[in-house]
This record gives sequence, structure tokens and C-alpha cells, in this order.
Amino acid sequence: MPKGEIVAGFIAPHPPHLVYGENPPQNEPKSQGGWEQLRWAYEKVRAKIDELQPDVILVHSPHWITQLGHHFLGIEHLAGKSVDPIFPNLFRYTYDMNVDVELAEAACQNAKDLGLVSKMMRNPKFRVDYGTITSLHLARPQWDIPVVGLSANNSPYYLTTEEGFEEMDRLGKATRKAIEDLGRRAVVLCSATMSHRHFQEEPDVPEDMSQEHPYSMEMYQWDMKLIDLMRRGEMQKVHDLLPQFVEIAFAEFKAGSFTWMCSAMGYPELPGELLGFGNVIGTGNAVFEWDLTKFGLATPASEWKHSRPFNAGRPSAPSSPLGGGSFGGAGPSIGATAR
Amino acid sequence: MTVVSAFLVPGSPLPLLRSENPPWSGIASAYRTAGRALAASRPDTILLYSTQWMAVLDELWQARPHLADTHVDENWYEYGDLEYDLNIDVELAQACVAGSKEIGISSKAIDYDKFPIDTGTIVADKFLNPSSRYPLTIAANNLYHSFDDTIRLGEMAVQKATDLGRRVAIVGVGGLSGSIFRHEIDIRSDGIVSAEDDAWNRQMLSSLEAGGDASFPEVCDEFAKGAKADMGFKHCAWIYGALGRKFSGARVHEYGATYGSGAAVVEFKV
Ligand SMILES: [Fe+2]
Repeated sequence: MPKGEIVAGFIAPHPPHLVYGENPPQNEPKSQGGWEQLRWAYEKVRAKIDELQPDVILVHSPHWITQLGHHFLGIEHLAGKSVDPIFPNLFRYTYDMNVDVELAEAACQNAKDLGLVSKMMRNPKFRVDYGTITSLHLARPQWDIPVVGLSANNSPYYLTTEEGFEEMDRLGKATRKAIEDLGRRAVVLCSATMSHRHFQEEPDVPEDMSQEHPYSMEMYQWDMKLIDLMRRGEMQKVHDLLPQFVEIAFAEFKAGSFTWMCSAMGYPELPGELLGFGNVIGTGNAVFEWDLTKFGLATPASEWKHSRPFNAGRPSAPSSPLGGGSFGGAGPSIGATAR
Repeated sequence: MTVVSAFLVPGSPLPLLRSENPPWSGIASAYRTAGRALAASRPDTILLYSTQWMAVLDELWQARPHLADTHVDENWYEYGDLEYDLNIDVELAQACVAGSKEIGISSKAIDYDKFPIDTGTIVADKFLNPSSRYPLTIAANNLYHSFDDTIRLGEMAVQKATDLGRRVAIVGVGGLSGSIFRHEIDIRSDGIVSAEDDAWNRQMLSSLEAGGDASFPEVCDEFAKGAKADMGFKHCAWIYGALGRKFSGARVHEYGATYGSGAAVVEFKV
């Protein structure tokens, strides 16, 4: 078996508004579009994943909060309906996912070996959190690639941001080693918003984009400062600024997804590509890509010998009660032509 | 009389799912005792606030007439599933939505199939209302709300219950000291994480037994900071507001630990 690789990492924020704006068949509420620039950014993620042909997508979500250690989804097939407790008017989504349990178990064991408390979630009735579902839907709406879902331990909140990040560094290393040892070709998703201060009230029509703008000039400037550094590949500076950014901008990176992703990728001091930025109820959301094949740090799909054919994990259409349909679309939105 | 009984109870599922575990069995049986006291008070509705139902944008009130499903706790899933079957006093909930707005707190009614019901609400309902005999009106914990906001919500909810002629049992669901063990423990030897947290909890429980008046929020604030109390101890603000900002005392049925954090079943004198 060839050594596995992480082929790309994405910042993949999870406002449920983006799923709502797209109107996929899995989501009950219907919209008139909205947040197009972020949704078009995700179309680029989707195209990149098609190109990279990963065996597995891993996602760390701030909305599966665990108190006792770091947890991994450990049931092969999870399905159900997820209703967002904060935005139930926007997100009532019927999900159906396959989990790469073997990979999750290996990463969980590696995390233990590195001194972290870490557990496998084995309850088949477990309801997957909306952060995990939203990022995965936006990145791969076909749900045909197995996933690994990681919880966010509350250590950055319980201890300090820095102590929390130190645990995420180890969790990233544990994840990387499991991917390498099992020969997986993997994409990692940091499911998080940047500046996280938000408006206290929703507009009557949530997708009324005339109401959408940065929460404040300070929040916008912080987002741009970090994005600028990421675009230039000055990642060490980004990590140095993170605790301050978290403090001032209430950034969701506090939950650790970004540190985990960078650690798993081996902290590449490389420029990422900003695929899009947008505000959602005032929060700052960037869709960012680090395609490691571009830098010779991972093997392009054309040269990779898959141990199993791409997409072998699942049928190509979701087996949810909602059936197939088109998943590439951006919904009946204003000028949403890109597919 | 509108308020016929009032209880502070823990939201951890552990005493429900492993009631035979010695450190948790006392909490479980005290919870059942409180359930009998609640039934004896013959309420029309249970007015419940749970720290684990977290809201961000508005004050949310559950307004779906009937909710039944299986919930799996995101932390303690290995201990089993939580089946629930809740009947909601929708009329009172809607009155509370309007009442929240009247006191300057933006508010919404929630009425969705499969809306995630929090663990604390389910645990309290299973113990206190085992045959689903009493309907509930359930309020969320908005993370941006202060202790004082929560007092005002409790006060307002009782006013609305009075307007509708309801007899209500007040329930605040949440823990005492909030720190849990960060490593796996042998659950048979569960105890409070630190002597300091234990001391804070005991001091707070003594204050509850002694009763509270206008200075009570200060006592709670000191406790919340010292003990890193569950959600700023706002579940107690709910009860204090509902009791009209004063109470003459309380009975502590049991105090113990739930994986290191503080938990108590307390019945207020009404
Ligand atoms: Fe989030």
C-alpha cells in the first residue's frame, strides 16, 4: 500500500444560510437564493474535489462540542434529519453519510498515543451536528465520498486558547499519521467562520442581501489582515496572530479546526487561494484552498494508484428519501449561472 | 396562587442513564422525590428553563404541541438513548413570546419537527414528569442574556401564567460548579473535581436553604465566578425571578457530582 497523503485542505465555513440559499432537495426550507459569492466559492471547492479524487473527506466541526476529549464518528452509516437549533427556519436537512471508520479508529488511537483523551462515537442513533453536515454538503453535495467527523473538545474555552491549540496540533499530527499509514488520499476541511460577531436580529427575509455587511470595520479589517497573510503564504504569522484574532473577533477558529487542519497538512508555509469571502449575518466567512498537489507536496490524481476506484464508497446519488436530483446548482438565485 | 412549586435540578443525563451507579443514585432518587412533590403541588403546567437549550438570536420558546423522539447526548452517547414525549402548553408559550417582547427581549416561538430538544429538558421531564401528565412551557438559555435578563424572563413568565389562570411548577435545569474531569474516570468513584469547587457548591446550597431577597443575585454572581458555574447559574435566576425576587428558603434533597461537576436537587419553599 502506498503511503497516504493529504492532497488539499480547505477553510470550509458552515453558515446554514449557504445551504438554504442553494435550495438542495435535502433541505426543507426554500429560499430566493442569497450569499451567492460564498456559494460560488464552494463551486470551486466542488470542482477541485472532482479533480483531486480523494478517498475520504475529514472535517472538524465546532458544533459537535465534547467536554471529555476529542471524539470521532465511529458508525459506518449515519442518516437522519438535522435541524439547526439556531436557524431552524433555514436548515432542516435530511442527511445520509458513510464514515471511514477504519481511518477514524486509527486517528483516534494515534491521538491517544500522543496523550490526548480521545473516543470513538459508537451510538447508531447519534445525530450528526449541522456544522459537519453543512461543510460536507457545500464541499461534496453528492455524499459519495466517505467522511471522518471529529468533535471540538472544549479545551480552548475551558483552558486557554493556546492550550487548546496545542491539543489541536497533536490531533492534526494524529490525523496525518493515520492517513499516511492507511494509504488514504484525503481532503481536510476546517469548518469555521473567521470573525464571528454577528447581528442580533435576522431580517424578515433572511436572504435579503441588502441587509448583509460586515459586523464592523474592525472585524472586516481583521479578516482581511489574516486573509492577506494566508494569500501570501505567511502562515507562521497567521498562527502567531490567532490568539489575538480569536480574542478580538470572537473567531470560530478558537474551536481549533484551523490549527488541526494546518497541523495535519504539516504547517505548509504556502500561499492559499482565496476562493471567496462573504458576510453572513455579519460574520466573516472565507473559503480558502491549499492544493498541495500544486506545490509538489502531494500526488496529482492522474498519477495516484487508488487502492479502490474513486467514489467506490457510495452510490453516486444520495440514498436519502429525497432521491437524486441535481446537486450542482446554486438554486434560483440572482444570476446564479456557474455550475 | 400561580407558583405552586419550584425546583433547581441537574441537566446531566448520567443520573438518569446510570441511576444504579452509587455516586449518582442519590441524585436519581432525590430527583424522583422532587417529582412526587411536583405532582403533589398539582400544577397545570411546568415552566422550565434549561441551560442546555442554547439560543443566540432571540429568546426562544418551544411551541410545538407534541414532541416525541429519541435523543442521543453529544457527550454521553455511550450511556444510552434518551426517549422523550413532551406535551407543550402552547398558549402559555405564545403568551411568553409576546411577554418577552413587552419587556424588551426579542423572542420567537419554535415549532419544527425534529427540532433538537436538549438533554437537560429531557432529563428533568423524565424524572419530574414521568408519565408526561403535565404540559411544559420551555424557555431557552440565550447565551447573550445576563442573570438579570433571565430574572426578568422568569418574572414575566409567571405573570403570563397568572393572566391565563395557570398553576405552575417552576423548574430551572442546570448544574452547580461547571468543571468536569478532563480524563476518563471510574464512574463508581465520581466526586467533585476539586475541594474548592465543593466548598463553593456547599456555600451556595446553604444560601439557598437560608432564603434570598434583593441581595441574592450578588450571592449567585460570586458563586458563578468562583465555581465556574454552569452558564452563570442563570437557571437559578429563572427561579428567583419566577418567585418574585424573594424566597424564604429551600430544601436540598441531594448534592453530588456528575463526572466532577456539581449537581443538586433543590426544592424551594413557596
Ligand atoms: Fe458555527
